[in-house]
Amino acid sequence: MTPLHLEGIGVRADGLVDWISARAVLRGEIPFVPSSTARPSAAALPATERRRANDTARWALDAAGQAAAGLDAEELALLPTVFASADGDGEVLARMLHDLAGAPVALSPTTFHNSVFNAPSGYWSIAARAPAASTTLCADEASFAAGMLEAAAQADATGGPVLVVACDHAFPAASPIVTPARAAFACALRFAAASTGRVPIGRIEVVTVSQDEATPLPGPLAEAFDGNAAAAALPLLAAVAGGREATIRLPYLDGTSVTLRWVPCA
Amino acid sequence: MRPLAIVASTLVNACGTGWGEFAAALRHGRSGLVANDFPPAREVATFIGRVRGLEDAPLSPRFARFDCRVNRLVQLALEQDGFTAAVAAARARLGARRIGVFVGTSTSGILDTELATRSALRAGAAPHLDAAFRTCRHSMMAPVRFIREALDLRGIAMTISTACSSSAKVFASAARAIDSGLCDAALVGGADSLALSTLHGFRSLELLSTEPCRPCDAARNGISIGEAAGFALLVPGVESAVRFTGSGESADAWHMSTPHPEGAGALRAMRAAIASAGIDARAVDYVNLHGTATIANDLSEDRAVCAALPHRPDVSSTKGWTGHALGAAGVTEALITAYALEQQWVPATLGCRTVDPRLGMRVAIGSRNARLVHALSNSFGFGGSNCSLLLSRTP
Repeated sequence: MTPLHLEGIGVRADGLVDWISARAVLRGEIPFVPSSTARPSAAALPATERRRANDTARWALDAAGQAAAGLDAEELALLPTVFASADGDGEVLARMLHDLAGAPVALSPTTFHNSVFNAPSGYWSIAARAPAASTTLCADEASFAAGMLEAAAQADATGGPVLVVACDHAFPAASPIVTPARAAFACALRFAAASTGRVPIGRIEVVTVSQDEATPLPGPLAEAFDGNAAAAALPLLAAVAGGREATIRLPYLDGTSVTLRWVPCA
Repeated sequence: MRPLAIVASTLVNACGTGWGEFAAALRHGRSGLVANDFPPAREVATFIGRVRGLEDAPLSPRFARFDCRVNRLVQLALEQDGFTAAVAAARARLGARRIGVFVGTSTSGILDTELATRSALRAGAAPHLDAAFRTCRHSMMAPVRFIREALDLRGIAMTISTACSSSAKVFASAARAIDSGLCDAALVGGADSLALSTLHGFRSLELLSTEPCRPCDAARNGISIGEAAGFALLVPGVESAVRFTGSGESADAWHMSTPHPEGAGALRAMRAAIASAGIDARAVDYVNLHGTATIANDLSEDRAVCAALPHRPDVSSTKGWTGHALGAAGVTEALITAYALEQQWVPATLGCRTVDPRLGMRVAIGSRNARLVHALSNSFGFGGSNCSLLLSRTP
């Protein structure tokens, strides 16, 4: 498959406010302090959508906005997106399940439309004024790897750019569904078409699915983010932060892994 | 894109279980829609497309952990039309690791989550569903997990959940995965069950019809929700009567639950599908509309169809038969489109009696025989997610 040329990164997670701070943590320059961060403002959305946007959409938009920083309006409009999540939005789910248990049922239109799994994608396309193709996928704990495979296949098919956004949250105590994620994590990776003429941060070669074990999360972050499917990106982000060639295995289905090769540009 | 043969297919919906029953319902103009009698949501005044007998059709004991309404639809579909045997033959030829599974759903097993939560809360208990419930029934991946277990497939897999375009978009992702060498064949499709959230949610948006839905009719007043499952086995480089030849995807970038008034996103998706097949727009002979029968959808889709296809081919919406199967609508209607191409037959817009005079499309009121080579199937969803598939009769 064609290598993916990494041009932009974004991170928004509990204790990691952006890619710059995440990179410093991943390099060991500053300690990781687990803490819940403020709700992102979703400032790029028009006022009505900004009021309505759900939490996973806000975190995803924040990370995606960092990764897309510097693009002009046309580049943004033409940027296809792949959103990946294992569990979607637990706040919205819990609210909807409680509303549906009432007698009589009172479910608000906003709760209902925010409950669709592709709500972050919908809000992003409105915020970015981006009519390009957008997909939203789930593969449980393999969701980030599945998103990377979809992005690589898209880049193969189109030769164009693609933005991957992964987001999973801890579910609230009121949720009947319990998920393994304990903290919020969103990240975004923007890949460029080969022909932009700009020098990318580096390139990712998607090698193959293998029986090898997945690369563990970087030590200081494992306790907070183990079990968060979106945070499966952390070993790749650590390799990018480290600036050296690396082989990363992302958790995939049935205990397999997807092997990626990271090659930084000098 | 490289054309893919549809070497096997199966479906289940309110009109029938398997192609035999379903084709008979199509040919005889028999709608599957009935006044809402779905026990957990009877108070919602609307018509629904309900699959009979699911309550008494649990999964086989081997797969008991996956048992939920959506996976019952999946099981029923896999049992029809020799589909499981066709997948087994492909597995024997290509290997279990080389067949990808791509499923679209918007509900997955949420009905079971909703009912478990409701009974706990109404009994004064705190609802708590365990990890196995999450992965095997509630998660968007629950149908994929069940299918991979039931059919012993070990290749790449994903669920696409983009509301009502979900099970159309899986065709596009599967084609790319095959082109990139990630798999050699793909099981694609979708499943969505009736659910409290969809019935009450669409009611809250005032989009439910109080009679069987009437797509494109001047007096249409909303959708009829249906449940369905459908699957196809896509293989490159082999023969089939109808092939999947093109796909186009776009975002409206407009509103979370209302389509773009000029159908701008729908138009982009249709044009991209036509371009990816490398044909001229004038070669499109039929469009299976998204055609939900909401006032806004049908007007918006009309603008897109008229702009993309000024030669005015026949168009129809088949939601009057099945209802709007939401996450399973894409595959259901792609398969109806394949049937139309194979049979050289344009299905009616069941429920439409007087075409809305504001529509410029050539809406087929009655079914008729016609020469069809290329046909589009449109699917649009919340969040402004659009997908158009092109299917072609093999010369």
